Amino acid sequence: MLDILQIPFIQNAIVGGLLIAVLLSVLSLFINIKNWSFINVGISHATFGGLALGVYLGISPIYLGILFAVSTGLLIGYISKKGDIHEDISIGILFSISMALGVIFLTLTPNYTSDLFSFLFGNILTITREDIYLLAGFSLFTYSFLAIFFRKILFCCYNEEVAYTAGINTDFYYYSLITIIAIATVLAVKLVGVILASAMIILPAATASQIFWHYKKIIISSIILSILVVLVGIFVSYQYDLPSGATTVFIYGILFFFALFVKKLKKGR
Amino acid sequence: MENILEVKNLTVKLNGKTILEDINFSVKKGETLAIVGPNGGGKTTLLKTILGFIEPTKGYVRLLGLPPKQAVKTGKVGYLPQKNNVPKKFPVSVLDVVLFGLVNSKLPKKKQIEKALEYLDYVGMLEFKDYPFSDLSGGQQQRVSIARVLVAEPEIIFLDEPSTGIDMVAQESFYEFLKHLKETKGLTIVMVTHDVGVVAKFVDKIAGLNRYLHFYGHPKDFFKKEILEKLYGSEIELIVHAEECVACEHFKFKIGDKKC
Ligand SMILES: Nc1ncnc2c1ncn2[C@@H]1O[C@H](COP(=O)(O)OP(=O)(O)OP(=O)(O)O)[C@@H](O)[C@H]1O
Ligand SMILES: [Mg+2]
Repeated sequence: MLDILQIPFIQNAIVGGLLIAVLLSVLSLFINIKNWSFINVGISHATFGGLALGVYLGISPIYLGILFAVSTGLLIGYISKKGDIHEDISIGILFSISMALGVIFLTLTPNYTSDLFSFLFGNILTITREDIYLLAGFSLFTYSFLAIFFRKILFCCYNEEVAYTAGINTDFYYYSLITIIAIATVLAVKLVGVILASAMIILPAATASQIFWHYKKIIISSIILSILVVLVGIFVSYQYDLPSGATTVFIYGILFFFALFVKKLKKGR
Repeated sequence: MENILEVKNLTVKLNGKTILEDINFSVKKGETLAIVGPNGGGKTTLLKTILGFIEPTKGYVRLLGLPPKQAVKTGKVGYLPQKNNVPKKFPVSVLDVVLFGLVNSKLPKKKQIEKALEYLDYVGMLEFKDYPFSDLSGGQQQRVSIARVLVAEPEIIFLDEPSTGIDMVAQESFYEFLKHLKETKGLTIVMVTHDVGVVAKFVDKIAGLNRYLHFYGHPKDFFKKEILEKLYGSEIELIVHAEECVACEHFKFKIGDKKC
């Protein structure tokens, strides 16, 4: 088993996969307490439009992906704050348009060989050095931001009106958090695909909060959970020649239901 | 004494409907004001306008001598909303919630925790400090929220029906505690309440609000049939029956034309 660690692309997959896993599991706390899973699905699908346009125009897809994701995220955030249109509807509309654009751009792209499949499920085994640097830099920024402002951000999530009257610039934290989630999602989509990115940002805290109720324990157990899932996912997919993204999502899913089961057992006693 | 709150010619329309019309009043530092009136009379809307959530259609608000959005930035304003809009299963402990009140505090963490525990004790919730906040009952959550507002030691607090869901004994000690803060720290209190008994024994001024400010003045002038009827319309009998003896015991005056 250990000899696979010698292979460079496996090393990159492990380092990159772990970086993404830890970043998304920290953010998953906020996705869960704000009930933002649908916002996140909206963002990850919008990313697809951006990445596809990038491929079509021959511009670095990641930057257009970020542009699409951040603007979709901010727009959804704004609409949901305003509360005039139901946010599920606005998200549904925005992401279907963006997905449709994505498919059109990709079809228009001459000699486009890479398949749609890899956008959807990604391939953790193709992570490069550059991807890793970008991820490490952005992770560092995110952790510093959260470390400095954690209590204020949590207060805003607790009750925005009350946080505002305590003198906190709630809009700043609200939109910053959405922007960070959007950028993290783009990086994740490029590396692990739309589906796995959603799983990695929704399932860790959703699973952990079946067993723990306090945010500190939820964060720590989400991180540990994600690290384990990614390692096992990479190993299993390599060993049995399975698609890495789908394998990992499947393991996340199993653990979620396992946690639900444990919670039921605890309650039953 | 200076006016800590000033409301001038205030008109608020929401979706084309006039909720508040030409409201004028001011509150001095250290005063306690009760805002009363029927459901839908605009009490919550008035608080939200004073705090800057809602822009006035006409007129203006000065809070601590500043426009609302700047006033809240001083950290000297406390707010207890009518609805506790906290997401379900929010992953914090009771102590964490009170610590939110100290979010701007420069005290070292240990001192903050001591202070938070002290305020939890005031509201009788100390034994629950390590409980999940979302597992508490409505009244218990309200008590913790009160500790969260007061621990910040604000200069002026806005309480929207603070006694909702709180049992009688806890209410009594809550109002005693407010009175204590008012007397020792000069805390200014603006609260919305339906509890006329409390109003009578506890506040300096009453604002009777139902779209217009029908009454503004001392409690002793408020309990008059024509004022109450103008404010509440025909539902007056109900209110009088519910509260007459409490109010009378403390103030020894007649409500409407009934004698206690
Ligand atoms: N966003 C809004 N858009 C339109 N109308 C609104 C809005 N918010 C409140 N209203 C209306 O304004 C009126 C006053 O509401 P408000 O909540 O201020 O009353 P209240 O005096 O606090 O009542 P209660 O005693 O029930 O708490 C109501 O008729 C309500 O329907
Ligand atoms: Mg109200």
